Amino acid sequence: MPFIQHTDEDRAEMLKAIGAKSIDDLYVDIPADIRVKENGDKVKLNPSMGELEVTRHINALLAKTKNAGNYAFFRGAGIYNHHVSTLADHLALYEGDFITAYTPYQPECSQGTLTSVFEFQSCITALTGFEVSNAGMYDGASALAEAVLMGYRLTADKFRKETRETVVLAGAIHPEYAATVKTYCETTGLKLVTVGAGKDGRVDAGALKAALTREAAVVAIQSPNFLGVIEDVESLVKQAHEAETTIVQVIAEAVSLSVLQTPADAGIDICVGEGQSIGNHMFMGGPAFGFFASRKDFVRKMPGRIVSETTDRDGRRAFALALATREQHIRREKATSNICTNQALCALRALIQLAAWGKGGFTELGRQVVAKTQFARKALAAVKGVELAHPDAPVFNEFVIKAKPGLDAALIKQGIMGGLPLETVGMGQPGEYLVAVTEMTTKEDIDKYAKALGA
Amino acid sequence: MSNIPENPADRLLFELSKPGRRCVTFPKLDVPEVDIADALKGAKLRTEPARLPEIGELDLVRHFKNLAKKNFSVDKNFYPLGSCTMKYNPKINVTLLAQQGYTKAHPYLPEHDIQGHLELMYNLEHYLREVSGLDEVTLQPAAGAHGELTGVMCIKAYFEDRGEGAQRTEFLIPSAAHGTNPATAAMAGFKAVTLKEAANGNIDIEELKKKVGPQTAGMMITNPSTLGILEPKMREIAEILHGVGAQLYMDGANMNAISGIVQPGDYGIDVMHFNLHKTFSVPHGGGGPGAGPIAVRKHLAPYLPKPRIKKNADGTFSFDHDRPKSVGKVRSFFGNFGALVMAYTYMTQLGREGVRRMSQNAVLGANYIRVKLRDFYNVHHDRTNAHEVVFTDAKQDKENGVHTLDIAKRLIDYGIHPMTIYFPLPQNTGGHGAMMVEPTETESKESIDYFIECMKKIAQECKDNPELVKSAPHTTPVSKVDEKTASTNPQLYCPMCLG
Ligand SMILES: Cc1ncc(COP(=O)(O)O)c(C=O)c1O
Repeated sequence: MPFIQHTDEDRAEMLKAIGAKSIDDLYVDIPADIRVKENGDKVKLNPSMGELEVTRHINALLAKTKNAGNYAFFRGAGIYNHHVSTLADHLALYEGDFITAYTPYQPECSQGTLTSVFEFQSCITALTGFEVSNAGMYDGASALAEAVLMGYRLTADKFRKETRETVVLAGAIHPEYAATVKTYCETTGLKLVTVGAGKDGRVDAGALKAALTREAAVVAIQSPNFLGVIEDVESLVKQAHEAETTIVQVIAEAVSLSVLQTPADAGIDICVGEGQSIGNHMFMGGPAFGFFASRKDFVRKMPGRIVSETTDRDGRRAFALALATREQHIRREKATSNICTNQALCALRALIQLAAWGKGGFTELGRQVVAKTQFARKALAAVKGVELAHPDAPVFNEFVIKAKPGLDAALIKQGIMGGLPLETVGMGQPGEYLVAVTEMTTKEDIDKYAKALGA
Repeated sequence: MSNIPENPADRLLFELSKPGRRCVTFPKLDVPEVDIADALKGAKLRTEPARLPEIGELDLVRHFKNLAKKNFSVDKNFYPLGSCTMKYNPKINVTLLAQQGYTKAHPYLPEHDIQGHLELMYNLEHYLREVSGLDEVTLQPAAGAHGELTGVMCIKAYFEDRGEGAQRTEFLIPSAAHGTNPATAAMAGFKAVTLKEAANGNIDIEELKKKVGPQTAGMMITNPSTLGILEPKMREIAEILHGVGAQLYMDGANMNAISGIVQPGDYGIDVMHFNLHKTFSVPHGGGGPGAGPIAVRKHLAPYLPKPRIKKNADGTFSFDHDRPKSVGKVRSFFGNFGALVMAYTYMTQLGREGVRRMSQNAVLGANYIRVKLRDFYNVHHDRTNAHEVVFTDAKQDKENGVHTLDIAKRLIDYGIHPMTIYFPLPQNTGGHGAMMVEPTETESKESIDYFIECMKKIAQECKDNPELVKSAPHTTPVSKVDEKTASTNPQLYCPMCLG
């Protein structure tokens, strides 16, 4: 049998030691009438396969797919086609001592993982400006949902005499994130209010003002937002804080932190985001990881694992899991979250990628993305019949164009995976496309796209 | 912050950094340079570059290789961490996943471009339906706890749909349950009501009958339990819950004991989750990513997260977003798809016979350990156990003042990763620290025998030289770590990363 090393002789010896006649004897606590019979067909599965057969099977499935590599590629919307350093594969995916270890509960034999988490936290601190980052969440969407719950707890604790249970989702938030927040809020009984984006693609400030009633506890914004537009974060912070609410920012394109003001500097209370852009393959949207950062004062309200520096008995530097009294295994129903397993390997990949880029490389990456995005924006807007949806708004890596509806299929035939038709995700009208650019996008790709749009 | 260590192998990335060092370079920009401030007019910019380390490629590789060396891992060490199912992770899973067809698969590609991925997910759902004996499956949850939350949300939506939402406010949870169970119930807005176990570790049926009622939404039961025991009265428990209109949730983290042996659906459960990173060998990755699919009975299927995957009459596959009663989404896109590919690769290799052999051999190994060590350590419930066995430090504590933590750390000196010692809590194991041992089916008898011998040696050391055990480990890169200070005086980032 695959992966089992016991021989019949081993099994016989072990059974003898146990004093059992057969392995079936070990299942005495399962009523006989529902036990699956040896060689029966109650459980309908394929016969066992070896390496060769499973490779053929998987490759046959893959033959029925296409991927970003087959196209001039302009699709993003939360998952971005960045270059992933081969180092992230070699040092994480293929590194047995990282990939086959588990949660570092025993620090003496897990310093590798613990040190890397500490370094990961430090990198998230460098990116966001916040003193506290946790070890990571499942993804950007669930990180936002958890940040909203934490933001609610912060406000509720401060204003205990009031009932403040409304969550305000402001502006163009990724539809998958908004849906996730909605699910979490419905289950916990929090009320959800959404404030749309104005014509300029930014949060409609008037509508936000109206939504900031005394019941409001948390405001969540995305910047750059789902339509690619960079919000006026500072003024949204001001509005949220004047209403004595907690403000959360979610970031879908983490590379934007290379050039944009840090959330901490903008006055944000909790910053979360999707980390896929940094060192993680697209994989149909997962696994990557969510990052979660906040101020030092709020650390005891945060979800997820956190690693701290400490010392060993001999005074040497060492790292260990910290502040576990927030977590489910200690606090049970009073925990800040139920999260246990997170996305450690993906966070490790991000650490490797950030170190591979380095301070200079990360900045250069940001500049290249901005330059290519600007070029693409101008090139596409110059095409007859194409216009920008938000011509005056600042954008980082994505922007919306208005063109003929239903262009997608024809472009695909020409080897172009154009911008995402927004109506397919309920975020725009037919003919509106969300175009994404990365450092992988070449001038040639952009020219090809522009030409096809003009035809 | 201590001083920078002399040996580069002991330094943090930030301490290896030197201005001007570079690893990755980019192709020369093929479009005109722009002035960032000008291009992003109207947006606020960073005041200085993020203080990431500046490092050369060799130093980077060496840094992470040196870190890796400081970990114990399944590839290198016997890792009997109970409840976590640290089995061998076949290399083929990673190799097949690392292909461009997966690495460059985007979630918003048109369905005709991702038929093979949809088919894989469809097949994986089938596999889990068969193993669970339930009707429908979602692959969206990212881990076990996330599956729990999704399942409990479905139960909540079901009751709200029936107009019983306001009435059903409680979830029953056995006291030895994993911490995620009560945390999940609370997160979903339920009151977690604790059920004490009977003296033999089973569910106390009388206690259950007392606590169950019209206010009960459901019960979360882990089977086999976190004490390593198969619950003999599963069907009766299901009947009691259904008798008051409540639902039975099964935490399937321990499916490595019973997959292919019994379909939990036959117990009468309504919903369960799988930990694909335990039972179906998605590598644990130092703490994730995993995947926590849930399987449900028909009446709960309308509430599952969307989209669902459907097979069309012409044999093609598509997403079904039209699910008006769905709880919505519990995360973005389709779950940890890459993890699903690895689990699928594993499962198809096992097949029908393999999945059964997996459970049988896992249970065999754990029972063997119990009988071999029962004279040396207190077995918490010395009866036929499932895939793991719980010992306590009752003997060593009383006779030598040595505790589970000491025994666990001493194991490290023998090259074995400690068993689980932080749970179940002492209140569930007679006031003594627990040691939960799960060998898994992939370990050879020789490895298991070596573990047994080490445990016997440690039992002897507790008598002869308790200090040796209490001061362990002696062979690791760091000695016993001061975990308390990590929490009382946390230092959560390297000061060099922040201005
Ligand atoms: C019994 C049990 N239930 C639930 C969980 C939670 O699973 P996860 O860590 O994947 O969230 C675990 C493991 O951590 C477990 O052992």
